Amino acid sequence: MPAGLRDNMTAMGNRITGFRVLRELLAAELAAGIVGLRLFMACVVMAMFVLGSVWMLGAGLSRALAGSGTAILGGDIAVSTVNAPLGENSLRDLQDIGPVSRIVEMRTSATVGEVRASVELKAVDNAYPLYGTLRLSDGAKAESLFTDQNGLPGALVEPAFLSRFSAGTGDIIRIGDVDFRIRGTLLTEPDRLSAGRFMVGPRVLIGLPQLEDTGLLGFGSLVDYRYRIRLADGTGVADAMAAIRALNPEGGWEIETPQDAGDRVRRTVDRTTTFLGVAGVVALAVGLAGAWAAASVWIARRARTIALYRLSGATPAIVVSLHAVIIAAAACLAITAGLGLAGFVATVMMDTVAARLQLMWSPAALVLPALQVTAILAVGIAGASIATLSGAARLSPGAAMRSGDAPLAPAPRYLLTGAAVMGMAIVFAIFTLPFPALAAAAGFGLGAAAGILGLCGWALARIAARGQAPGFIALVARPGLSMPGAVATKAVAIGLGIAGVTAIIAAQNSLEQALKAELPDRIPDVILMDVQPSQVDRITARIETDPALSDLQSSPFMRAIILSVNDVPAEAALKRQNKSWVIEGDRSFAWAAEPTGAELLAGEWWDADYDGPPLISAEEDVQEAFDLKPGDRITYSVLGRRFTSEVANIRKEYHRTFRPEFLMVASPEPFRNAPHSWVMSLEGGDGTAVDKLIRDLAAEAPNITAIDIRRIVAQVTEVIEGAVLASLAIAATLLVAGALSVTAVFAADVDARRREALAFVLIGASRREVALARLIEAAAIGAVAAVLGGLAGQIGGYWLVSEALHIAWAPGLVSFLLPLTLGVVAALAAGLTGGISALPKGPGAVARQLTA
Amino acid sequence: MLRGARLSYPTPSGDIAILKGIDLTVAAGETVAVTGPSGSGKSSLIAVMAGLESPTGGSTEILGMDMTTASEQDRTHLRRRDIGVVFQSYHLVPTMTALQNVSLPLVLAGIQDAEDRASRILDRMGLSHRLTHRPAALSGGEQQRVAIARAFVAEPRFVLADEPTGNLDQETGDVIAEAIFALTRDSGAAMVLVTHDRDLAARCDRTVAIDAGRIAG
Repeated sequence: MPAGLRDNMTAMGNRITGFRVLRELLAAELAAGIVGLRLFMACVVMAMFVLGSVWMLGAGLSRALAGSGTAILGGDIAVSTVNAPLGENSLRDLQDIGPVSRIVEMRTSATVGEVRASVELKAVDNAYPLYGTLRLSDGAKAESLFTDQNGLPGALVEPAFLSRFSAGTGDIIRIGDVDFRIRGTLLTEPDRLSAGRFMVGPRVLIGLPQLEDTGLLGFGSLVDYRYRIRLADGTGVADAMAAIRALNPEGGWEIETPQDAGDRVRRTVDRTTTFLGVAGVVALAVGLAGAWAAASVWIARRARTIALYRLSGATPAIVVSLHAVIIAAAACLAITAGLGLAGFVATVMMDTVAARLQLMWSPAALVLPALQVTAILAVGIAGASIATLSGAARLSPGAAMRSGDAPLAPAPRYLLTGAAVMGMAIVFAIFTLPFPALAAAAGFGLGAAAGILGLCGWALARIAARGQAPGFIALVARPGLSMPGAVATKAVAIGLGIAGVTAIIAAQNSLEQALKAELPDRIPDVILMDVQPSQVDRITARIETDPALSDLQSSPFMRAIILSVNDVPAEAALKRQNKSWVIEGDRSFAWAAEPTGAELLAGEWWDADYDGPPLISAEEDVQEAFDLKPGDRITYSVLGRRFTSEVANIRKEYHRTFRPEFLMVASPEPFRNAPHSWVMSLEGGDGTAVDKLIRDLAAEAPNITAIDIRRIVAQVTEVIEGAVLASLAIAATLLVAGALSVTAVFAADVDARRREALAFVLIGASRREVALARLIEAAAIGAVAAVLGGLAGQIGGYWLVSEALHIAWAPGLVSFLLPLTLGVVAALAAGLTGGISALPKGPGAVARQLTA
Repeated sequence: MLRGARLSYPTPSGDIAILKGIDLTVAAGETVAVTGPSGSGKSSLIAVMAGLESPTGGSTEILGMDMTTASEQDRTHLRRRDIGVVFQSYHLVPTMTALQNVSLPLVLAGIQDAEDRASRILDRMGLSHRLTHRPAALSGGEQQRVAIARAFVAEPRFVLADEPTGNLDQETGDVIAEAIFALTRDSGAAMVLVTHDRDLAARCDRTVAIDAGRIAG
């Protein structure tokens, strides 16, 4: 037989033998169970659960929104105007493009019996809805319910209306000058999100012809007229947009496509997903680090078994293959469990959120993100296992047999490879988020925090290694603190979890403070809308003569659409995409002779008697959107007319005050005499005076809509409390992920600590002395981790608050005490693990350990 | 002095009796070899005499302390002050150097020149060049010499050695045995030596055989 053929056959024979050995060892190992990997599995389940929930929820919502764009908009294309409807000719032109559905939306007040409150009124024609389905509680057809029956037209209301007004089907609602009978309850309103604004009251749906009779479409009332068009098959949206723009080249119409409508909502969803995603990425990093540590502990504890395999003839390749397959099996189980949990949570959350946003969604939307997260975890676990498996291959059988204690020493190149592959998984996760730049910044911060924690742990070890240690306790504590690698790993494991939780708590506290604590001092109790100019003086006098009412502010209330800046179309002139909302549709607009009281950032206010061409005071958001400065020209549409004004000054409003704030305020002429309404806001002490004012106005001036801000604040408070709970839930999951990781890292020491504790007992050290020494050792690491992790968390929280949430920094005492508490708890737990619990206890424990 | 000393461990399936009534008296300065088959209770006897386990019956008095009634703290202090132990598996602290391992009993006793005294006894054991080495860097014989130095550094009155040469080759074992007997002789301590080695047992003043938890002869 030729030598080459003989060599090949020998090699093949070795491979077959190796495979058989591997198969038999594997069968024996798997039959014995993988219980030793339970810590590893817990870390993987946790990472998979957090990451999977966030990814599936985010992607599910984005998919639902993308698929619901037409239903949200209510048509293939929509044209909106404010205050005045389209003329007959314009409407006919739109109908030439495709069938049109007309709706009118406005905020007004409704009365049922003695209860009067604001509602979101929507009047629809027979073609409504062009897309989607209007579902009623009893499954009836909507259009037949609006017409007169027994002398009264019908109205449909959402369930919140019934509870707010203590009403039921069949009751009578008075809106404006007309009584309507409640004929059904709305379950689904497909275009509910189309208005894209905060709802001040529950929805009431009536027929378009009946709206005319209410008398609400009066002089200057704030009314949105929307025209939704269904395009014929084969007609492109872009062509239709061009055709509609050509109908009204002067501008002033807001034209929207399904993508615009979907994008508007999706931006909010994407931002939320990104923030949740940052928590997911932290959980992924912490979970993978824990999985790495846990896998290393498992391999180290198997040192003697591995040595026996090697002594029995198993090659390093067989040892690595065997352990790789066992780790893979455990990882598959853990990924499946984590995915199942995440799928359950995401499905429940999707059902809840989709019902709230009235979106249709399918569980199939969760499949892709589930696969994505599985791939991320699989790559991450591969990275976390590479170095450990390399350590198994290099394990010295002789050392293991001598003492049963052979430290894992992975090859440096595999350490680097493992870390790089884990990093790839994290980077992959970051770049699948909707705002990768934001997530990458968070990831970078996390990496920097880990690096600094590791360096400080290393430095602590170097300091501990210097000089003499006086006394037994210091002598015992010092060696544990003198190992740079181990101390750095522990500092990172404890510190990262602390940093993540601190950041979220600090951000959550800032958000809570900004929204909750600051509101009561700054917000009015009631806002009166649609006040006609002729009513302003009378109502002002009524309010000023009532000593219980105060802080009255009145201003004209109009809407404007920004068309161009310095003759450049608004979209092209936009400098910051995050401010694109200022050109999306009509925005708040007023006129004023005197300064509004807002801080002027640049420029000057016009003279009180100025009556020249209109000048504009632009709010800071408009300035930021276009890099505006005084002297620039801005072209806008008000009441269908086009104006070009010079920017006189830049003004800073304080947002989220609930008082009317205006993106643009013009000098009085020529708006003073244009048809418009006024808005008034006031405060009212204990509330009884406000209640009386609302009742009086309902009787004397039914056209005025009184928005009870107290009720809205209560709703907002509920939302904030929900957000606080959600933040705490995220913080809690991070805490669990961190605790698992810390447990895994400290578990690496437990066997060695047990052997050390026995040696100390033999020479006459007391339990107290051993425990105290270990506590001091753990406390030093805990202190470094708490201080640095807390600091990193505060920096991360500050970044979240200032760069992403744009609110004031108010971390709260808890966010400072929490890291210290967590550090102390982690140190105590670690100290007890290596101290008291490592000491032999119970009858026979010493003898058994001595003879083991 | 042990009179009818008993030791049993509770297990889920009932108590397991390890020592079933041991009578043994060791005089000051006396060396006693304990022999017997594996599992006969020799190591448990060492654990009881070192105060590492509480006897569950009979009476056990070590250096004047009744071990059946003494608190764990009292037994710990007795071990720290007056008892030295050497085991087959060395039981050194892996994170500490040879010098630190040997210093530990003196540091525990609050002795100021602990390192000097540890250094001297290590020098006597021929390990002056290994003071700063950790156990992992030492051979088995060297580790056992460090363990012996640690057992004798505080000048105990009673030394317990459990198979101190069991892990070593003949030549190294002889060196270790010589060192133990020399240190015992010089310090005047009493010693109980558990061994399978008849030659080693023969070097003791007398030999006691133990079998199935009882003195066999």
